[in-house]
Amino acid sequence: MTTQAEPSQHRSEDDPRIMLHGQMGQYEQVPPYPPRTEREAEFYTLGDGEMFLNMGPQHPSTHGVLRVVLKISGEKVVDLDPVLGYLHRGVEKLCENSDYHHIISQIDPLEYVSSLFMEWAPVMAFEQLMDVQVPRRAEYIRVLTGELLRVASHALFQGWMALDLGGLTPILYSFIERDEIVEALAALTGQRMLFNYFRVGGVNGDLNHEFLSRVGDWMSRALVEHEANIGLLNENEIFVRRMRGIGRVDRDTALRMGVTGPNIRAAGVPFDVRRSHPYSVYPELEFNVPVRGANGGGDSLDRYLLRLDEVRESIRIIDQCLHEMPDGPVMARLPRLMRPRPGRAWAAVESPRGLFGTYVISDGTDQPFRFRIHDPSFVHLQLVGMLMKDNLIADTMAVMASLDPVMGGIDK
Amino acid sequence: MDRTLKTRLEARLADRLAGPIRQRHDGTEIRIRPADMVEVMRVLHDDADLDFAILADLCGVDTGETMQVVYHLWSSKTPDWLRIVAEGMPREDPRIATLTGLWPGAEWMEREAYDMFGIIFEGNRDLRRIYMPPDYASFPLRKDFYLADDAARSPGGGVRHMERTSPPVQATPGSVRRTVRP
Repeated sequence: MTTQAEPSQHRSEDDPRIMLHGQMGQYEQVPPYPPRTEREAEFYTLGDGEMFLNMGPQHPSTHGVLRVVLKISGEKVVDLDPVLGYLHRGVEKLCENSDYHHIISQIDPLEYVSSLFMEWAPVMAFEQLMDVQVPRRAEYIRVLTGELLRVASHALFQGWMALDLGGLTPILYSFIERDEIVEALAALTGQRMLFNYFRVGGVNGDLNHEFLSRVGDWMSRALVEHEANIGLLNENEIFVRRMRGIGRVDRDTALRMGVTGPNIRAAGVPFDVRRSHPYSVYPELEFNVPVRGANGGGDSLDRYLLRLDEVRESIRIIDQCLHEMPDGPVMARLPRLMRPRPGRAWAAVESPRGLFGTYVISDGTDQPFRFRIHDPSFVHLQLVGMLMKDNLIADTMAVMASLDPVMGGIDK
Repeated sequence: MDRTLKTRLEARLADRLAGPIRQRHDGTEIRIRPADMVEVMRVLHDDADLDFAILADLCGVDTGETMQVVYHLWSSKTPDWLRIVAEGMPREDPRIATLTGLWPGAEWMEREAYDMFGIIFEGNRDLRRIYMPPDYASFPLRKDFYLADDAARSPGGGVRHMERTSPPVQATPGSVRRTVRP
C-alpha cells in the first residue's frame, strides 16, 4: 500500500522511497524544461541560425563521462554548457562515514591517473589534526613516488592531447613510459593504479629491491626517452597549428577563475604549491617552477609545452630523492584507531592538475565530521565555456584536453 | 603560523570579525558574519598588504545547528593559508551573497555547495544542481541525510547514529543529533 502523492510530486523510479518534485517527465522535454536560472535561460534561447549539438556522455575523448551541450552556429561554437554528475559517487559523504584510515582508499579512485596525490592531501590534513611528525625517510619516499606519478600523468597527457587532435601514435609511446613507472610503483605498493600506499604518519612499507632496480633502470634513460617523445610531436605542423593561439587564458582571467597548477603557470603566474606554500621536503630540493605565456597569456600550446618542462623538473627531483634518501623508519608511532581532538585542518598538495586540497573537521570521534575535497579539474572545466567562444567544434576536445581534466575527480 | 598576519587582519577587519583569530600549524582562521562576507573578501583581495589573489576552496559545512560557508585563500604576502568561516546561517533557510563578483571561478563551487547543502548564494546567475539530477529534492551532505547502506553493517553500526539505517528524510530541524560546536 503506497501513500498518495501530491500532484506536484512523483516517486523516483530508482528508489521508491524518494519523492521527486515536479511533474513526471518534465525534464525529458526538448528543448529543455523551463529554465531555472538566468544563465540557463540565456543558454537555451536560440539566436538566428543557431542550433544545439549534444556531445557525450559517452564521447571517447571526454576523459571520463562528461556531457557537453554545444550551442553552435555553422561550424563555430557560440556557447556551451557542461553537464556533470555521471560519475558522482558522493565520496565526501562516504568519507564522513568512514574512519580515518578507510578514507585513504575511498578517495584513491578520484583522479585515477595520479592517485597518490589524492592520498597525500588528506593524509597531511590528518597529520595536522593528530600533531604527528612524519619520519624524514617517509617524506622522501612520498616525494619520490609522487614525482614518478607526475611524470606518468604528464606522459599520459601528452598522448591524450595528440589523440584528441587525431593522432594515434603518441599515446602508444606514452603508455610505454607510463607503464614502466606504474609497474615500478606496483612493485612497491602492490597496485598499478589505486595504490593505497600513504598512511597517516608515513607510508605503507619501505622501498624494496625491485622498485629501486626498476626506477634506476628507467632513470638511466628517462630524459632520452622524454626527448624522443617530444621529437615525435612538437615539430608536427598540424599539431602545433591546431594549438597555437587557441584557448588563450591571460593572467587576470586565470587568477579570477581560480585556476591552479600547470594551467595557471602557462598563463604567466608562478603559482606552484610546492614552492608557494611548501610542504613535505620540497624546501630542501632543487627544482625550478617553469612559467610560460608571461606576456599576454598562454594558449593550448603553452599549456602543453609547460607540462613537458615539468617532466624535466620532476626527473631532477626524483634524481635528488634517490641520492639523498635518508635512513630511518617509514612510519610514525600512532594508535590503530585514530580519534583526533576536535579541530579543523586544511592541507593542499600540487597534483599534476593543480591544487588538490582537503578540509577536515574533526569532532573527536574516529570519523571526520566534515570532509571536503577540492579538485582542480572541477574548477578548470569552467574555463572551457569561456575559451570555446568562436572556435570550431572540432577544437572543443582539444581545448578541453589541454586543460587536462579527469572526470573522476570532477564528479567525485 | 604567521603572527604578523594576525595583526594585519586585526587592523583591517577589526569590526567585522565575529570571533577571535585562531592560528594553528600553517593556517590562520577568521570568523565573520555572512552579511559581511563580500566586504571582507574585497578587503582581503584588494588590500596591497594582504593581497589574497587565489581562491583555493569554497565549501559548505553543516554543523548540525547552523550552516557555514568556508573559504580558503592564498596570498604571496604570508606563508599561511587563510580560512574564512562565514557562520551562523539558519539551517532552514541558509542564504549568503555570491562571491562570483570577485572570483567568477567560484560559480561552480557555489553550485556544488547549493547542491549538497541547499545554501542559496544570492546573485549567482547559475545556481542549479551540478551533481545530482535536476529533480532531486534532498541535500545529501546535510547531517540529517542518513546514509543507509553498508556502513550500517560495520562494527560501529548502531553505535554511531550516522550509521543507523533509516530512510532518507527531508530536513527537519530537530532530527540532527551529531553536532560540532560552531
